[in-house]
Amino acid sequence: MTVKIRFFARFRELLGTDIMTDVAAGTMFTPLITTITQKNPEGYAAIFDEKGAFCEFVILMKNGKRIDIADAAKTPVVDGDEIAVFPPVAGG
Amino acid sequence: MFSERERERYKRQMMLFGDEGQERLKKAHIFVAGAGGLGSPVSIYLAVAGVGTITIVDMDLVDQTNLNRQILHFDRDIGKKKTASAEEKLREINPDITVKAIDVKIDETNAAGLVGEADGIVDAMDNYPTRYLLNEVAIAKEIPLFHGGIYGFYGQATTIIPGMTPCLKCIFPKAPPMEVFPVVGVTPGIIGTVQANEVIKYLLGSGELLTNRLFIWDGMQTRAEEICVERNPACVACGGMGEKITARKKK
Repeated sequence: MTVKIRFFARFRELLGTDIMTDVAAGTMFTPLITTITQKNPEGYAAIFDEKGAFCEFVILMKNGKRIDIADAAKTPVVDGDEIAVFPPVAGG
Repeated sequence: MFSERERERYKRQMMLFGDEGQERLKKAHIFVAGAGGLGSPVSIYLAVAGVGTITIVDMDLVDQTNLNRQILHFDRDIGKKKTASAEEKLREINPDITVKAIDVKIDETNAAGLVGEADGIVDAMDNYPTRYLLNEVAIAKEIPLFHGGIYGFYGQATTIIPGMTPCLKCIFPKAPPMEVFPVVGVTPGIIGTVQANEVIKYLLGSGELLTNRLFIWDGMQTRAEEICVERNPACVACGGMGEKITARKKK
C-alpha cells in the first residue's frame, strides 16, 4: 500500500515533498516518518529530538486531521493516506 | 463624512464598497504588533486603504540588515527607532489617517492595555511567546487576530476569530526554537499583504475570511496551499470559549 508524505517549509528544503512510499500493513505514523527522514540526517534532526521523539513543536496531520504527537506512535497509516509534517514558521 | 481629498484618494476602491465600506475602514482601529518584515506591508496597505487609526508597536532600532525586507525603513533611517521611522512614512503615505507609533516591548504587563479598544490585532511578530500573548489578548477582548509567519521563501497565515475558529495555541501548541531566520523580502511582502487583505475584508464584513484554514506559501515552487485546522476543545487558551459565547447568545 502507498501513502503520500508532504513536508513543508524548512522540512521541505531538507527532505523534499510529495514523497510516495510503499508501506507494510500495520505501519505506524512515527516509524514511517522516522524511516523517511533518516535518509537525510539534517532533516531527521530538524524533526526528531535526540531521544528519537518528534520535537514538541512539529505539527502532524493525516488526511487533514491533526495527529497528536503523543498518539503518533500508535496511529496506523493505511493505503492512500496523505501525511503532512510541518514546523510553525516564526519569522516576521 | 469624507473630504474631497479623501473621496479622490479612495475613488477606485469606493467603486468596490462605496461610502459605507470606506466609512467602516475609516472608523476602524487596527493594532499592528511589529514594524518589521510583516508589519511594513501590513501597515502600508492598511494606511493606503484608509483604515482610520493604526497603532504600530515595535521596540527595535532600524538596522542595515533589516533593509532587505522592512520596506517602511530606508537607508537614512538606520539607527532610528523603527516606530519613529514607521510613523513618518505612514503619515506621508496617508495624511488623512491617525497613526500611533509606540516604542515598547510587548509583554504580559502591557499587552492588553496597548491593544486598548482596537478592532483587531495583526500579528507581525518574529517570535511565538509574544504571539501567544497577543492570542490571549485577542481571546480576552473577543477581537480577531490576523496571524502571519515567514521563513526563507515560506510563509503561513490564518485569521483567528476567538470562539469561532482555532486560536494560535490550538494550531501551534508549542513554540519552535528561537533562531535568526533567513528571509527574502518578497516573502513577508506576500504574507503581509494576505494579512492586510484579511483585515480589510473583516472590517468590510464581506468575502470569505481565511478562517479554519492555514494558508501556506511556498515561494520556491510558487505554490499556495491550505490545511484545514480545527479547534482543540482542551486548548489552554481558548478551550470552552464557544460555550461561553453560545451561553451569552441564549440570554
